Amino acid sequence: MMNSMIIGKYVPGNSVIHRMDPRAKLLIIFMYVFIVFLANNSVTYAVLTVFTFGFLALSRIPLSFVIRGLKPIIWIIVFTFLLHVLMTKEGDVLYQIGSFSIYEGGVKQGIFISLRFLLLIIITTLLTLTTTPIEVTDGVEILLAPLKKMRVPVHELALMMSISLRFIPTLMEETEKIMKAQTARGVDFTGGRFSERMKAIVSLLVPLFISSFKRAEELATAMEARGYRGGEGRTKFRQLVWKWTDTAFLAAVLLLAVVLFVLRS
Amino acid sequence: MTETILSVEKLCFRYPNQSDYAVQNVTFQAKRGEWLAIVGHNGSGKSTIAKLLIGLLRPESGVIKLFHHVLDEQTVWEIRRRVGMVFQNPDNQFVGTTVEDDVAFALENNGVPRDEMVKRVHEAIRQVHMEEFLHHEPHHLSGGQKQRVAIAGILALRPDLIILDEATSMLDPKGRQEVLDTVRDLNKKQRITVLSITHDLEEVAKADRVIVMNRGEIMTEGTPKQIFALGTKLERIGLDLPFAVKIRDRLKQCGIPLSSSYFTIEELVEELWTLYSKR
Repeated sequence: MMNSMIIGKYVPGNSVIHRMDPRAKLLIIFMYVFIVFLANNSVTYAVLTVFTFGFLALSRIPLSFVIRGLKPIIWIIVFTFLLHVLMTKEGDVLYQIGSFSIYEGGVKQGIFISLRFLLLIIITTLLTLTTTPIEVTDGVEILLAPLKKMRVPVHELALMMSISLRFIPTLMEETEKIMKAQTARGVDFTGGRFSERMKAIVSLLVPLFISSFKRAEELATAMEARGYRGGEGRTKFRQLVWKWTDTAFLAAVLLLAVVLFVLRS
Repeated sequence: MTETILSVEKLCFRYPNQSDYAVQNVTFQAKRGEWLAIVGHNGSGKSTIAKLLIGLLRPESGVIKLFHHVLDEQTVWEIRRRVGMVFQNPDNQFVGTTVEDDVAFALENNGVPRDEMVKRVHEAIRQVHMEEFLHHEPHHLSGGQKQRVAIAGILALRPDLIILDEATSMLDPKGRQEVLDTVRDLNKKQRITVLSITHDLEEVAKADRVIVMNRGEIMTEGTPKQIFALGTKLERIGLDLPFAVKIRDRLKQCGIPLSSSYFTIEELVEELWTLYSKR
């Protein structure tokens, strides 16, 4: 069950990218999303690609992990590519089948757009591969802190996220236990017709829901007993440290933006 | 003369939409450094008392005084800072993503500055002997270890009173022993008052004083020795005597001269073999 959750799974490591402040990583990704759209010719796309793969190399994450992360969206990329190849009518005709003709501009556009997509996915996958979910939560909480003035419950959202993360393994264990208990009572989760399998799933979900509600209530009681009364006046144990490398990376991304802006046509 | 830190007077409580009282006319005190046990069958009102003590439920009538403060809306947070409670289910009270985060949770809630927090977290974790698990996630810990982390979370606040609400009932014998040894140690060395709410009479044997609850009322009160002497009376209200006590009573009935001052199997074995070798 754990194996199917490989998308966005943290790969422990100690690279420069791993040690970066999650706030810096989130900011870089946010900027990157806009920067990607600056590229519009071969040179700028080449620069962008080199830059992205540079990040990838620094993270020391095996390429196979990234590729596995790409699998679910590869069809979207292929589809985007085909759509552009068939729809764009610019430049010389390269190939003709019946009434369909493929233009040079179309192929170019197709490659550019799918590359843009690919690079975006690679950089965001890199975030989840090198940052623990709890670090992401901490980063999001701090970056969104100004929104508190607009009455956005930032602290509550972050706490909800961290509690959910903490309970994922617990609920997984519980699911497995219930599954075994129901199998022992004769429920078949693997075989049978679709409708039968759906019924089997119900026998898994109902107990799981009931126990989750019970857990939630007990957890709330325990939190209150330990003096939890909302975000006000609360201090934080987890601390993020902004290092000079974080500033350096941020500067590098800004530089990339400038370079792309100059080189774009 | 030791200081009374907890006093409960004529406490009554009913759950909403119920005519029977869950807790009725309960009066008792606890002194500093004492280990007080409250025993009773399921539904005898013992867990309800725990919830009333830290203001999770509000009594219908009666007064709860902790450290000479009357428990009310103004004092409840101060009281929760000085009273730690360990609940039954080890998983459902673990809030943090790692051991150290969880121990820090109550400190965060009370706005303790970070430097102080780090110091206290490490100190508390050392006291429950969980140093090597500092960065571990809860699903890599056993039930007993999780309960010890819960105790550390309480110790970090430097409490005066620890309430164990059936804290060992979901643990295996080894985990239970670990938790009880940890608490005993704190009780002896730091004179932290312990209120243990349980239906396990083996746990009761460790207490200085025992209150027996039946149907929301206090049935009797005394030392473990006095309580175990009640024998079948306890069994009639749904409590099970420790194995060693049962065996001892049967042996005595058969005419074997045993003293009645012990509750554990080790002590029974000890007495039996000395008796045998004297013959």
